[in-house]
Amino acid sequence: MNVPGQPPFVTFVPRQPTDCSISIALCIKMSAISASEKVDGFTRKSMRKAQKQRKSQGSSQYRTQSAPVELSPLPQLKDAPSTEQQELFTQKLQQCCMLFDFLDSVMDLKSKEIKRATLNELVDYVSTNRGVLVESTYPEITNMICTNIFRTLPPSDNPDFDPEEDEPTLEASWPHIQLVYEFLLRFLENPDFQPSIAKRHIDQKFVLQLLELFDSEDPRERDFLKTILHRIYGKFLGLRAFIRKQINNIFLRFIYETEHFNAIMSIINIHDYLVHVVCLSFCTVICLMRSCCFSVCSIINGFALPLKAEHKQFLMKVLIPLHTAKGLALFHAQLAYCVVQFLEKDPTLTEPVIRGLLKFWPKTCSQKEVMFLGEIEEILDVIEPTQFKKIQEPLFKQISKCVANPHFQVAERALYFWNNEYILSLIEENIDKVLPIMFGSLYRISKEHWNPTIVALVYNVLKTLMEMNCTLFDELTSSYKAERQREKKKEQERDELWKKLDELRLSSAALVQNNSHGLPSVQNNNNNNNNNNSSNNNDNQDTRAEAAAVPTDNKVPDAGVAASESTPCAK
Amino acid sequence: MDAYKLMKELRVNYEQEAHYRPKETGLRLIESTTEGDSRISAKGRNAKVEDLWSLTSFFGYSTQTFVLAVNLLDRFLAMIKVQPKHLSCVSVSCLHMAAKVTEEECDLSPADELIRIGQCRFTTSDLCRMEKIVGEKLGFKSNAVTALTFLHLYHQIALSHSTDRKESLSLEKLEAQLKACLCRISFSKAKPSVLALSLLRQEMEAVQSEDMLEIAYHIQRHLKITDGELLLWSERVAPCLSDYASPECSKPNHRKLQWIVSRRTAQNLHSYRTVPELPTIPEGCWDESESEDLCEDVMSSGEESLSSSLGSDAEGPFFPLHLRRQKHLHA
Repeated sequence: MNVPGQPPFVTFVPRQPTDCSISIALCIKMSAISASEKVDGFTRKSMRKAQKQRKSQGSSQYRTQSAPVELSPLPQLKDAPSTEQQELFTQKLQQCCMLFDFLDSVMDLKSKEIKRATLNELVDYVSTNRGVLVESTYPEITNMICTNIFRTLPPSDNPDFDPEEDEPTLEASWPHIQLVYEFLLRFLENPDFQPSIAKRHIDQKFVLQLLELFDSEDPRERDFLKTILHRIYGKFLGLRAFIRKQINNIFLRFIYETEHFNAIMSIINIHDYLVHVVCLSFCTVICLMRSCCFSVCSIINGFALPLKAEHKQFLMKVLIPLHTAKGLALFHAQLAYCVVQFLEKDPTLTEPVIRGLLKFWPKTCSQKEVMFLGEIEEILDVIEPTQFKKIQEPLFKQISKCVANPHFQVAERALYFWNNEYILSLIEENIDKVLPIMFGSLYRISKEHWNPTIVALVYNVLKTLMEMNCTLFDELTSSYKAERQREKKKEQERDELWKKLDELRLSSAALVQNNSHGLPSVQNNNNNNNNNNSSNNNDNQDTRAEAAAVPTDNKVPDAGVAASESTPCAK
Repeated sequence: MDAYKLMKELRVNYEQEAHYRPKETGLRLIESTTEGDSRISAKGRNAKVEDLWSLTSFFGYSTQTFVLAVNLLDRFLAMIKVQPKHLSCVSVSCLHMAAKVTEEECDLSPADELIRIGQCRFTTSDLCRMEKIVGEKLGFKSNAVTALTFLHLYHQIALSHSTDRKESLSLEKLEAQLKACLCRISFSKAKPSVLALSLLRQEMEAVQSEDMLEIAYHIQRHLKITDGELLLWSERVAPCLSDYASPECSKPNHRKLQWIVSRRTAQNLHSYRTVPELPTIPEGCWDESESEDLCEDVMSSGEESLSSSLGSDAEGPFFPLHLRRQKHLHA
């Protein structure tokens, strides 16, 4: 697979993924970009695409097959007598363990169709019948599932895949794989399903392999995986802590490690117990985040009170720092939902959460700022009044900065808080603290903001605040105006001082000319600073030798008292 | 200005004030109108005056502009039957007219900005026409004698008499109180000189200055204001001022306001509501602690699955009955 002249492209692929003692998928991908461009980090997409080698679409999974194998159709399950159904069921399951190469669209068409029909039948069989899940069937079922879905995913064609913009790469064998997922779900949801039997096969290894599949670029697959993970979490109590730990690690890895432009290799050390090596490219982790957050929501909602320390850690050390991720836009809605759920469970977490968000408040990315504001509104919607009092001051300080933000969307989103009835009632209760913080910014932008929509919204906000407590409002208005007056006065005084100094300069220039007859003047000798300036000292100096001692830097008097003091000497 | 000149000016204004008062019969008619009528009610007028105050404050106009605008509005409403739907136009044109004579050119906001911020439904040309009508009907040229005129004069007189007590009578506070009174139509029935004097007295009583009250009495005698009249209005002013000064908040009626946001912001406003929910999985109380130890083992294919160790499910006689029953909840 090496192309001469290009850096090596190496892939290690285990032959039978399910056989591994430790599930490892190790992938080192070095991008085919020259070293100089790498340093730059902003290589143009077009150049990258041009340089990229177009790999052949073969898959290692099917290399072991020597000759095409044909499936022989088995009789229908519904037609079989009840005594034989068990055996037939097992046979069909075993038949479905045969894998087909969908990348070759003409190969084995008949067999593929037989498998597809069989899978369909199996899905129905497990959904509609009772007494089907006998103990002996469990290993067959899980084996079929493992064989079909646990595979090494092909490396991404497009390392900068943007889930929102680009078309996803769909799984080629979806016609079969979809049915296998469907089957797995029905299996888990079957009323006769016994976790105690199934747990021998659906174990930590199974879960790990399942989590790896979240890397898939096919959104349909991820959707299935999300639901499956949810069901497994629900039914297998013994796996819950493990699943939480894995999700924890995925998030942590994402926060602290995946900020590169090119593909990434990362090695994780989990709590000294487990060593797990995974390769995640930046883009697919986003999808993983989204799916994970969906599952996590339902888990959080089920937490018992009082919340365990482990869960609080998860919130503060994982979910909150997750807000700093570069791709936040793609999963922010879900993340915010998780945070709000935590706060609904335990309102005492409000203060640390808000302080955490304020700490990570975006400083240069306006899009993120708008998202954060949305999240704050969601939190305020559920906040308890006592908790509100604790964070109102730092929070409104940030909000007052946001309303004055020149990016109109940020200002708009912040001002829109005043359209929320519950937030208004909170502000009303604490108007004496909130109004002084907000007033200055609001008043200032009513005069200065460039965007007319913002100005109109500011009017609404000011009017609302005025109606809440007009006395306080009037007081603040008059003190604000007094402050403005004071500042204006200071400015005027400053201007006048400069004018005066300008006049001094003119007068002392004139004086030097007159003084050139007499004694050397001691103007500005008491100034040590070398304010330098004029080279217009010349004419007078040359003609009068006695005046040669006159220092030349007295043409422009320094600002300050010294200048005015020295001028009398000149006279 | 020395005290004598001030008093003289006071007298002059007092003689002129009748000319600028709204017709009492007209005001009474408004007060007696009930809501939902085809005429303007007191509540409607008061709400509009509050809006005018918001606009004045927002555009940085002076109290003088506001007071003049209210004066024009009341005079016009008392004289002419105005339909409620035109009230907005009338009030904003009064404000604009007042601003034009009081404010400096550079501080004046254009009419269309006034209309946009005030969320009014009429156009600039409507405004111009209304201004002309109001100007004609009232014979308005440049100014009017209002309660504020008197307030300023009184304040100056008080200052000139007691120079060492400059700080105790705040003109700003008096102006704010006047503004609060003007928001209620009943005070428009008072003589401006009497209203201003009542306010002055209230404030003087609040700072407990006997000297000041002497001055107030002096003014009263000078203008020949009767005790009865002064008492009447003082009694009405007191509750109004205490309402204004109370720290209690009134629930703002913000439903009247339009909140216009850009399309992009509007789209993203309630995106969280669409987060699909997977059903909640309740946290078990007795399995979690056991599972903690289970993760110690490194998984390998040969070993039996960790979750099969004792205590992870409610199987068998090891567990009490009620926990065994829990299993079915998760099925």
